[in-house]
Amino acid sequence: MISTPSRNLRPGRLQPPALDALGQRSLNRRSLFKAAGAVGAAALIPLTACSSPASATGVTTIRFMQNKPEVIGYFNQVIKDFEALNPDIHVVQDSNEGNFVPSLVRNDPPDVMTRGYAQATADFTRKGIFADLSGLPAASTIDPKVQGLVNSWGQYNGNETSALPFSLAAAGVIYNRDLFAAHGVQVPTTWNEFVAACNTFKAAGIAPIYGTYKDHWTIQQGAFDYVAGGTLDVQGFFTAINAKGADISSASRESFTSNFGAVLPKILEVAGFAQPGAASKNYADGNAAFGKGQAAMYLQGPWALSELVKANKDIRLGMFPLPVSNNPEDAKVRVNVDMALLIARNTPRMEAAQRFVSYLLQPAVVNAFNEKNAAFSTLKDAAVTSNPQITGLAPFVKEGRYYQGAGTYFPPAVPVGNYLQAFVYGKDGNKFLADLDAEWRRVAERTAI
Amino acid sequence: MTASITARLTQNSRSRQEKPKVRRTPREGFKVSWGLTALMLVASLTIIVPLYFTVAMALKSPEQLGTGTGLEWPNPLHWENFAEAYVATNFPRSFLSTALVTVFSVLGSLATSSLAAYAIVRNWNRRFFRGSFVYLLSAMFIPFPVIILPLIKQTAILGLDNPAGVVFLHVLGGISFNTLLYIAFVRAIPAELEESARMDGATTWQVFRKIVLPLLAPMNATVGIFAFLGSWNDFLLPQMMIADPSLQTLPVVQMLFQGEFNTDYSLAFASYLMAMAPTLVVYVLAQRWVLSGVMRGAVK
Repeated sequence: MISTPSRNLRPGRLQPPALDALGQRSLNRRSLFKAAGAVGAAALIPLTACSSPASATGVTTIRFMQNKPEVIGYFNQVIKDFEALNPDIHVVQDSNEGNFVPSLVRNDPPDVMTRGYAQATADFTRKGIFADLSGLPAASTIDPKVQGLVNSWGQYNGNETSALPFSLAAAGVIYNRDLFAAHGVQVPTTWNEFVAACNTFKAAGIAPIYGTYKDHWTIQQGAFDYVAGGTLDVQGFFTAINAKGADISSASRESFTSNFGAVLPKILEVAGFAQPGAASKNYADGNAAFGKGQAAMYLQGPWALSELVKANKDIRLGMFPLPVSNNPEDAKVRVNVDMALLIARNTPRMEAAQRFVSYLLQPAVVNAFNEKNAAFSTLKDAAVTSNPQITGLAPFVKEGRYYQGAGTYFPPAVPVGNYLQAFVYGKDGNKFLADLDAEWRRVAERTAI
Repeated sequence: MTASITARLTQNSRSRQEKPKVRRTPREGFKVSWGLTALMLVASLTIIVPLYFTVAMALKSPEQLGTGTGLEWPNPLHWENFAEAYVATNFPRSFLSTALVTVFSVLGSLATSSLAAYAIVRNWNRRFFRGSFVYLLSAMFIPFPVIILPLIKQTAILGLDNPAGVVFLHVLGGISFNTLLYIAFVRAIPAELEESARMDGATTWQVFRKIVLPLLAPMNATVGIFAFLGSWNDFLLPQMMIADPSLQTLPVVQMLFQGEFNTDYSLAFASYLMAMAPTLVVYVLAQRWVLSGVMRGAVK
């Protein structure tokens, strides 16, 4: 069929061997297509069968969206336990968070979600995407200080509790316990002790801090958030600058220039203790190198711990808050609500969703999860963590001596990480602050209502 | 992936043209083009080196990933990465979903575009058909991300927030470019061939089915390859459209190896290799047709 017209079309072009090949070719291709069609048709049957809803059996299926790949296994087990106790509910775990906004567009959001709770999620809260959970009995078991972190981002209708915190991540300085012991260095509790510790390591030929400045978010959540959080009232500053709106200029009392002056020299000092070539290292490089003991300290959060252990399973790690003043009482840790439980406001399966959330907030589930993932429980009377990696931060979390990172308050349209990177490389503090003020004003002008 | 396939195609089409020359050197007096051969060897590295890294990464343990330059072949080999990735992605299910989306996207693209092109070319003297050509082409000026949210809303209303909807949009998304390709090709088919069939009493459908479609074979191959790769590798559309996580396609499911702060490189690469396998197998099996198709298309 194919060879004949080809010959007509291109007389003399094709040599006899090629024609043979063509003749065979059409046969093979046809059989291949036939086979593919048969496979496709056969495969369609089970797929259509399994996509039909199984609601006839009286089981309510709810969707649970969860964006942390490393804890899928944990939640699968939790779901299994929950389903054993609640045979009328089936929970489907969904880790495709990219589907969240589309699901809102479809008006079919996941029934239960966990999300990190900061600016981005609070935006959805303020638009009334999530249900009020204050009526759940579990809501009263949450530590009010931690709930306060959630509420500080704004509440729907001014009083609703849209999210119940599930996991609190505390970040500080990760240190290599063996290196500290080998050089007789104690965990520093004041700025001077911290500088002295850095100098001790430097003199011994060990990089005091492993810097990964190629990834600018590591400067932001590390040196910038720690120094700013230890020096300023971060939340107060951002409340004031937000209230000021687009009227901001470098001369204003609320501006970055007027408030962050004292912060910058210490950021540079911390950054200066990094190993040579920190500008060309990224987060993954940092995990591999610090895991192998190439530096004494690492300014990262608990999420890096598992990566460090992956690189070296024998490493002994600890954490302490970066002391920014010389009064040990001033030290605070950077925290973020790493996971908060939310229920979609318009879910038709509200009762099932509430039962699942209540189950997740049982002390056994919350505490086990946080113990396992180097995070802190969000419940009022949670037992003190026994994980040696984070025990150094436990008293601070217990007493509520913490702040949310300054970097998390910036709207995504202000690329503070890039500005910080330029500042750490170029060391021009005045320009850095003037840039932040100008950028903040531009975004405030654009987004003013 | 698309780039590498194209690179492979050009490379191989070159080698295809070269081979007979090499074989016939003594008889016909051609010389081996060592310069070109060297160039091809260098060019082949652009495929071989990344492929080597992919395979090596897939067989490493996390500790092995962190040591050395990354160039070393792992020892011992960690074959269990494949098993873990297989379980984590629920491979058979997501593979089936991807395969179905791809098969129907390819068939749909071939059918719709070739029919549209044939109709447009043979009715070129009518204003409606010329207009519909421009209409189809104008779709190429709309960037997909601009319309994705309205599309999601529409497909949800129509009950197409599932793989079937992805197939529909894949076919729709490719129709302008594919029709353009077919139109150029159908124009080159002499109308006399069809007239002789008509003399024998063939209907329009029979003419298309028995005369035109077989002649379109090279272009079918080209369009099929584009549709296959586009559909198999698509991430954005399935990610946003498929509501039921159990029907999700492989590229999206594979995202679970990348957390915000933790990437499981060895499992990810093992999974990528498994997802690449069908593309490679189809390519190796269909190589002859693919290449002849590309060459014939190029000559026209």
